[in-house]
Amino acid sequence: MSFFGFGQTADIEIVFDDADKRKVAEVKTDDGKKEKLLLYYDGETVSGRVNVTLRKPGSKLEHQGIKVELIGQIELFYDRGNHHEFISLVKELARPGDLLQHTSYPFEFANVEKPYEVYTGANVRLRYFLRATIVRRITDIVKEVDIAVHTLCSYPDVLNSIKMEVGIEDCLHIEFEYNKSKYHLKDVIVGKIYFLLVRIKIKHMEISIIKRETTGSGPNTFTENETVAKYEIMDGAPVRGESIPIRVFLAGYDLTPTMRDINNKFSVRYYLNLVLMDTEDRRYFKQQEVTLWRKSDKSRLPLHNAHIPQTLSHPSNTMLRQPSASSDDNSTRAVSPMNPENAMQRSISPAMPDGDKQNGPSQMEQEKPEEITQKLSNTHIENNQENVRAQEPPQVNEKPPIAEKPVIAEKPQISEKPVLNRPDSETSQSQ
Amino acid sequence: MTNQASPVEEQEKLLEEALNVVKVQAFQMKRCLDKSKLMDALKHASTMLGELRTSLLSPKSYYELYMAITDELRHLELYLLEEFQKGRKVADLYELVQYAGNIVPRLYLLITVGLVYIKTNSNLRRDLLKDLVEMCRGVQHPLRGLFLRNYLLQCTRNVLPDTIEAQNENEGTVRDAIDFVLMNFAEMNKLWVRMQHQGHSRDKERRERERSELRILVGTNLVRLSQLESVTEDEYRRLVLPGILEQVVSCRDAIAQEYLMECIIQVLYYAVQQLAAGVGHGGRVPPARAARHPRAGRQLSRRDRSGVPHGVHHTVLYNRRVCDVQVFPDEFHLANLQPFLKSCAELQPGVNIKNIIIALIDRLASYSQRNEGNVNLSVVLEDGKEQEVQLFEVFSDQVAAITQSRTDMPPEDMLSLQLALLKLAQRCHPDKLNYVDRVLAHTDKICVDIHQARYCPNIFKKVGKQTLEHNTPVFKELMKILKLPADHYKNILTLIKLQNYAPLIRHLNYPGRIMIAVHLVNDVLESDTMISTPEDVESVLAMLDVLVKDQSDQPTSEPDVEDFTEEQGLLARLIHHLRSESADQQYLILSAARKALQGGGAARIQHTFPPILFHAYRLAFMYKDLKEQDEMWEKKCQKIFQFCHQTISMLVKAELAELPLRLYLQGALAISEIGFANHETIAYEYLSQAFSLYEDEISDSKAQLAAITLIIATFEQINCFGAENAEPMRTQCALAASKLLKKPDQSRAVALCAHLFWKGPKDGQQWPLNEGGRALECLKKAARVAQQCMDGGVQAQLLAELLGRYALLRERGNHHATTNLIDAIIQKIREELANLDQSEEVEQITKHFHNTLQHLKNRMECPDPDGLGYEGLVLS
Repeated sequence: MSFFGFGQTADIEIVFDDADKRKVAEVKTDDGKKEKLLLYYDGETVSGRVNVTLRKPGSKLEHQGIKVELIGQIELFYDRGNHHEFISLVKELARPGDLLQHTSYPFEFANVEKPYEVYTGANVRLRYFLRATIVRRITDIVKEVDIAVHTLCSYPDVLNSIKMEVGIEDCLHIEFEYNKSKYHLKDVIVGKIYFLLVRIKIKHMEISIIKRETTGSGPNTFTENETVAKYEIMDGAPVRGESIPIRVFLAGYDLTPTMRDINNKFSVRYYLNLVLMDTEDRRYFKQQEVTLWRKSDKSRLPLHNAHIPQTLSHPSNTMLRQPSASSDDNSTRAVSPMNPENAMQRSISPAMPDGDKQNGPSQMEQEKPEEITQKLSNTHIENNQENVRAQEPPQVNEKPPIAEKPVIAEKPQISEKPVLNRPDSETSQSQ
Repeated sequence: MTNQASPVEEQEKLLEEALNVVKVQAFQMKRCLDKSKLMDALKHASTMLGELRTSLLSPKSYYELYMAITDELRHLELYLLEEFQKGRKVADLYELVQYAGNIVPRLYLLITVGLVYIKTNSNLRRDLLKDLVEMCRGVQHPLRGLFLRNYLLQCTRNVLPDTIEAQNENEGTVRDAIDFVLMNFAEMNKLWVRMQHQGHSRDKERRERERSELRILVGTNLVRLSQLESVTEDEYRRLVLPGILEQVVSCRDAIAQEYLMECIIQVLYYAVQQLAAGVGHGGRVPPARAARHPRAGRQLSRRDRSGVPHGVHHTVLYNRRVCDVQVFPDEFHLANLQPFLKSCAELQPGVNIKNIIIALIDRLASYSQRNEGNVNLSVVLEDGKEQEVQLFEVFSDQVAAITQSRTDMPPEDMLSLQLALLKLAQRCHPDKLNYVDRVLAHTDKICVDIHQARYCPNIFKKVGKQTLEHNTPVFKELMKILKLPADHYKNILTLIKLQNYAPLIRHLNYPGRIMIAVHLVNDVLESDTMISTPEDVESVLAMLDVLVKDQSDQPTSEPDVEDFTEEQGLLARLIHHLRSESADQQYLILSAARKALQGGGAARIQHTFPPILFHAYRLAFMYKDLKEQDEMWEKKCQKIFQFCHQTISMLVKAELAELPLRLYLQGALAISEIGFANHETIAYEYLSQAFSLYEDEISDSKAQLAAITLIIATFEQINCFGAENAEPMRTQCALAASKLLKKPDQSRAVALCAHLFWKGPKDGQQWPLNEGGRALECLKKAARVAQQCMDGGVQAQLLAELLGRYALLRERGNHHATTNLIDAIIQKIREELANLDQSEEVEQITKHFHNTLQHLKNRMECPDPDGLGYEGLVLS
């Protein structure tokens, strides 16, 4: 009836109780825009009013009932038709009947469990919304309003750090350390890289944060990698014995908490990728998963207090290696056992309780060329399209015929038998 | 080929492009700042700084780019500083700038912002400094890293904590400043050293050049350390110096080690001069005082330095000479010599260690001199006691250690070190000769080692006297070592006190020894040193061995006569300096000298004995003057003349003739003058020796004439002979004269003999042995012989001479020479002259003749009252 411009119709408005006081959060919509939504946390009551405004005051609106729903759902973009609702709460606001005037219905979903955080990714979206419906015979009048939900976590302050010695045999050995394995979203990654052996000509080193979104299951699994941040931490070629500080502020990047197996539909995981680039643009990297979590704002406040630069204390302050000009000075490695801070540097660290299995020497990888979209306008690390892909079987046609003999990926050829104790002179060559 | 740009043009182009970007971005940045759009300004700053990421520029171009960019950063800094001081703080700015994705721009921004934080809130100072210097590790590229850290150093230069105690712990103390700069220094040094190992080996030269262009960046760290006012000596010893030295030693890079060691050494003359200048308005401050308060001096200098505006300060790098980093005050060095020198021993083989040590020694030596002696060599130790630093002892030990540990050190460098030590000993310990001697002894040892090293491998080589080759570096160094004490003391007597001096000379080869000996002798002559004991004489002559005696390694060919004569001439002059005030001593000196010199062979003694003899004759006269005081004088004179006789006979034995003859005659003259007991006999002996020399040894007619002339003259002068001794002598002479070969010679000699028979009156007394007739006979005979000459000219000449003799005899009172005879001669001469054609010779003779006539005329007009006149002589 309304199609023809006659018959009664109404507008629905959903008003939240504490809308003016409640915080808002920016949430990406599926078309990539950001909108500000009221922010709720798990267990919080969602309450308000549904206001129904009649377009033609005076004439009645017939309806089959009025209800309001709170819905949490996961939308997989490749499966548009199916939405997986993990929450669906309904409140009846009015029985079927006639509406004669503007009416306002209060509603309350008390202490709603909101297990997941809103998320909009490449292939999946998780959202919460309220839907008010005036049920009518032909077309319902519906109004949907999205809300934002953040899940908060708390981890003890002292967390296990990530320490690892990795390398490519006789070519590059490094030891890296991140101060934690779990970071909250405004946290700072502090760490350092210690070079045990350098025989390649390194051009620079960067840390990137990779977001890996996995959707679906079984054969229908889709994985999307996105480099959220690239951050150069070293310029030039280090020599053996150098330790390079790492400090990355996370607050500036567009990150979400780590999500594992959300409702068996998707996961979002984050990896720190340490990448070394040599002068021939080969990349050596090691990925390391870190858990991101959202910390409640309250406890964050003191940290963010104005002008005291936090994060001054990164490990190198306490684990200072003796500065030494000599590149191949082995003695610098001989840290005194008296200092507990140092004791962990080289050794294989004890197994972590949370099942971090990557400890101990392991292999670095050489990267496949990948397209990494630049997110931060001010990160201008050069292209990596040209990267030679050393793992692959030699691509003869792409290379000049005289190119070095086919390199077999993971073990850059050191033709002669590797000497057990690396001669000191080696490092100078690798400078 | 041709359309490729040259490297220089290429650089210019790259630099220009980069500078254009900087210009544009800086403009944008400033515009954003004007509009208070800080974030946009930072973005532009970051883009501008991105230009510093380039790897294409040479250090020089990179430096220019760096200067341009840091100048622009100044605007940002000033803006932020202003905002902060107004209280408009930007939250989390220190964090914000760290989002820059690239490390180089990020760190430049971080430093700029960090500086603003420190300036506005000193509470953060200590932590921020620590953080900044640590974060800079991220830049491992040498060139970029060096400039980044230089920026850090420049920015923080006025905010380093410089107090011993901090009221607020967070502000930090001078310890933190030391840590900060040392850390920065260590890292910069590493980067700097690393440049050496990058790139192709064919570029080594260019790389080294570039490195040396950049060295001041590293050295500035040391300047900064030296500008910290609160560094105590103790801290210097425990923290600063070991920190620096550890770096220097462990970097194992020759270029770095050499430069840095020199940096450490360089004096703060500047500071001291500043003080002197500053107080100079009121009154002059003695330099010693100025140096004793180096703090005050540094205060001034520091003010002066930090007054330089920010941007201008950098320009040192390419606009001025790139080295002059002057660092720590002398006191610090004195307290720390040992560790410093120990480090020297550990430096790389390639390091020119001797330059380092020499610079240090020079510095300390002049410091010591400035302070007029040893006063300030005392150093206060921790326990409050003063300890005298024995500069020399410290150096001597360490230099020995260094030479021992560095087997590869070229011997000439070892010697250079000894030379430096020698200087030190002379300047700092002028009273301690034994120090000098010790150095010489050590040098001696080194020389021996050098010989061994050279000769050992080949045992078949002739092991003769091992000496150093001429004009090798080692030779030159040794020469310097030898000349140094000589020039310093200017006194050969001091040199002979140095036991190891003379032996050291023997390490030189023959020409070298000659050179040094000549040098020494000249010194003696110039300084007019008197050598006044026989022992000294022996030592001196032993030192000059090479001049005194034949040498085993002397070249077999005949030496250059001129050179040889000159050397011996010098030696002879030296002998005149062997002189004592005491006559007895003098005798001993002469004996010693003769003993030393007599081994020299004919060639030498003919030069060296005459001065001895004349010395001896003079000595005899001395005794004559002393005869009132010394009863023994006559005996002593006899002894002297015996000594002289022996000496002369040695010359005779050396187959010399004319020289001993003359010396005998001279001796005879002296004897007759002195007139001691028995002198007549001795004088006769001398004369007769001379005569027999004449008879036996002199065969050349000219020499004969000269010799006989001398003998006659001597006899004429001697008045001591009685008839018994005189008679044989004069007859022998007359006989010898008449036996001369050539007629003119004969004539002249015979004419001279007239004087043997008639001497002029002495003290109004006629000589008792005058025999006027015989004298005249001589003249007549001479005239006769003259007339036998074929050449008219010669005849005339001889006659003209004879006329003179006649006149002389007459004036001396011999009346046998009558006016008639004189007149006859005159006529004869006139006759002869008339027959002669005009010539120069004849003119001379005529002139001579007329002069004589003039004389006669004069005498006739105003006759000598005592002599015989010329009555009756008619001169037409």
